[in-house]
Amino acid sequence: MADTPIPLEVRNIKKRFGNTEVLKGLSLEARKGDVITLIGASGSGKSTFLRCMNLLEQPNEGELIVHGEQIRFKETKHGREPADWNQVVQMRAKLSMVFQSFNLWAHMTLLENVIEAPVHVLKKPRKEAIQHARALLERVGLAERADYYPAQLSGGQQQRGAIARALAMDPEVMLFDEPTSALDPELVGDVLKVMRDLAEEGRTMIVVTHEMAFARDVSSQVIYLHQGQVEEAGPPDEVLGNPRSERLKQFLAPKR
Amino acid sequence: MIDLHGYGPRLLEGALVTIELAVLSLILAIVLGLITASAKMSRNWVAHRLGTLYTTIIRGVPDLVLMMLLFFGGQIGINMVTDWLYDRFDIDIFINVNEFVAGVLTIGLIFGAYMGETFRGAFLAVDSGQIEAGRAYGMSHALVFRRIRFPQMMRHALPGLSNNWMVLLKTTALVSVIGLSDMVRVAAEASKATREPFLFMIIVAIIYLLIASVSEWFFAKLQKRYDVGFGGHD
Repeated sequence: MADTPIPLEVRNIKKRFGNTEVLKGLSLEARKGDVITLIGASGSGKSTFLRCMNLLEQPNEGELIVHGEQIRFKETKHGREPADWNQVVQMRAKLSMVFQSFNLWAHMTLLENVIEAPVHVLKKPRKEAIQHARALLERVGLAERADYYPAQLSGGQQQRGAIARALAMDPEVMLFDEPTSALDPELVGDVLKVMRDLAEEGRTMIVVTHEMAFARDVSSQVIYLHQGQVEEAGPPDEVLGNPRSERLKQFLAPKR
Repeated sequence: MIDLHGYGPRLLEGALVTIELAVLSLILAIVLGLITASAKMSRNWVAHRLGTLYTTIIRGVPDLVLMMLLFFGGQIGINMVTDWLYDRFDIDIFINVNEFVAGVLTIGLIFGAYMGETFRGAFLAVDSGQIEAGRAYGMSHALVFRRIRFPQMMRHALPGLSNNWMVLLKTTALVSVIGLSDMVRVAAEASKATREPFLFMIIVAIIYLLIASVSEWFFAKLQKRYDVGFGGHD
């Protein structure tokens, strides 16, 4: 147990926007191979919580421990900020994020997107990075699209490309921020299939999603958030199969 | 054939001075423009104010006035410093403001302010998701700038940049008032001496047009390069 540090631990995260407290003390522990899904209505804070984990949002309070290393913070006149940005940069390289709107770099081909961070952040030799990238693109079914620009790809292809970009970092934890919400319904399946494969091979994943079937079949833990607090959490068959809270029952009830 | 009364070589030299002056001023203006844009987008209060002060002053004072202020005022300022050094420390140095350097500094300073506005708008036009993705993948500020923000910003900046360059090119004609022998000054001298002003001015006009056409072609190529991946203009 003690040999391998826990990939990601967050403790008591609080976040305020102005006077509104959107996260009211959230904690989570992602052990190796965990797939944690965060569900909840829009405005429940699930995306903000995810974005606090790689510090795209700065939490006002709370602790963040990535692979056993605690992130240090300091108080400034702009609020709480990381004390050492180098530490943040290194931490982020261990957590790769897949965004709702893909955010592939528009001025680079798919292949260039996938090798960008490995070459420039991890300082991997270019040749090796290209080899790895080709294998990953093959895996997500985009081998023939390597030299296309993102604008020339469908949403589903872009998102699968973004997943290849995330995998190229050999991340400790993968963060998914509503990865299928911006997709046409017929394109969702391909992306979810790739994510299911990743879960099966034992990747540690934290997924913000509205896809209840995915949450039920794949996750090791489901967390239901309501107004910045955990309303219910546990294994999927308990939380989704037998919800205790009225709110969650309503949230899960088929809409019309 | 057209008789240039032997002014041909000097006119050519003047044209070279114009081009050198314009290109060096452009480089200075781009550097100052990037600094100004960063200052104005900074959350640092002092940097923001300084950037705003700079653009306000430059945009509010005529180019010709600025040029003379810098050239003559600059010389007076430098003389005061060297006099003081001589009085206090017995150090005897003499610095003469070189017309060419003064020209580059003034034009660079003027257009740095305009470039600053162009770059600021262009930086703001870059989709924030693109930058966020860079940060999320462990890129430092400098790396995000070099690999993502700058190349994507250039696409938005180029139309304004090319426009500024055309105006800058024509502004170099002003340096003849501080005594620099650019092609306008050479042509003016030749006109007086030969009493053929039309001939020399039309030649100067054609050379300006030529430089402008080559620049336009160059900027179109550059635009194409930075538009890659965006499927034309959006």
